[in-house]
Amino acid sequence: MAEIELKTAPADFRFPTTNQTRHCFTRYVEFHRCLAAKGDGSAECERFAKYYRSLCPGEWVEKWNEQRENGTFPGPL
Amino acid sequence: MIESQRHSYHLVDPSPWPISGSLGALATTVGGVMYMHSFQGGATLLSLGLLFILYTMFVWWRDVLRESTLEGHHTKVVQLGPRYGSIPFIVSEVMFLFAFFRASSHSSLAPTVEIGGIWPPKGIEVLDPREIPFLNTPILLSSGAAVTWAHHAILAGKEKRAVYALVATVSLALVFTGFQGMEYYQAPFTISDSIYGSTFFLATGFHGFHVIIGTLFLIICGIRQYLGHLTKEHHVGFEAAAWYWHFVDVVRLFLFVSIYWWGGI
Repeated sequence: MAEIELKTAPADFRFPTTNQTRHCFTRYVEFHRCLAAKGDGSAECERFAKYYRSLCPGEWVEKWNEQRENGTFPGPL
Repeated sequence: MIESQRHSYHLVDPSPWPISGSLGALATTVGGVMYMHSFQGGATLLSLGLLFILYTMFVWWRDVLRESTLEGHHTKVVQLGPRYGSIPFIVSEVMFLFAFFRASSHSSLAPTVEIGGIWPPKGIEVLDPREIPFLNTPILLSSGAAVTWAHHAILAGKEKRAVYALVATVSLALVFTGFQGMEYYQAPFTISDSIYGSTFFLATGFHGFHVIIGTLFLIICGIRQYLGHLTKEHHVGFEAAAWYWHFVDVVRLFLFVSIYWWGGI
């Protein structure tokens, strides 16, 4: 039986608090900035996607995706 | 003063103004709630209540003025009352405005993800602190200097000079309010544009409101000085106005540094 590796985002010294809201948000922004810089589907950006998906509640991601589509996302993309 | 009085305290006569002011306040609150909930007659009751309060303020202060200036009831010991009273009043005003500074700092020091984690929030085009704000701050501070000039003139017994100094103080105050109105009119954001607009207009708006109150207070002092009500030894009203004016000045300084400058670049 193959071992399944379970991993969350690594500890980041920029976000030392228990509340990881900003960590999740930053990783989401980093992912999209990475895509913008390296082109859609770039493999290098996958790790940011993994991080934000393990840190962010699904509803937040849905909301932010919607905001990006509408051009109302408040983050520094 | 009654001849038989053997003490220097002011025993006030019965007055209708406390109850009339209370009724005005009651009509204002009830009318205000009715108005905001679109009840019939709400606007009328609200206006009546406000008029009643304004009327009470006028006649009550008129009475105080008669008792102090014309009847001489405000002896040295009686003057201590309004003097000491104005200190906690101004302290409470400081606390009132501190709340808005705190709200602004709370929102700007660690901006939430809802506004993108940045301050000013994305899409908010802020005012350049080096334009009107940087002009208006020294204008208000100069007004504070002019009120000190008026104070020295009063203490030196230079009655005409004190009137001129108060005219200068009030003129600078009016220029300040004019510029502030211009700034509001031209602002590229409104009070409903994110937490930035809310905190900005709440803090600067309440400060502006206090500037207007202080200006009215100083205008009254100017008129009383012109009429010869204020003397070298007795000018508590003027001193209270000057303290209030300095408080408004200091708040402006903090507004400029923390909201316009630090929060706007």
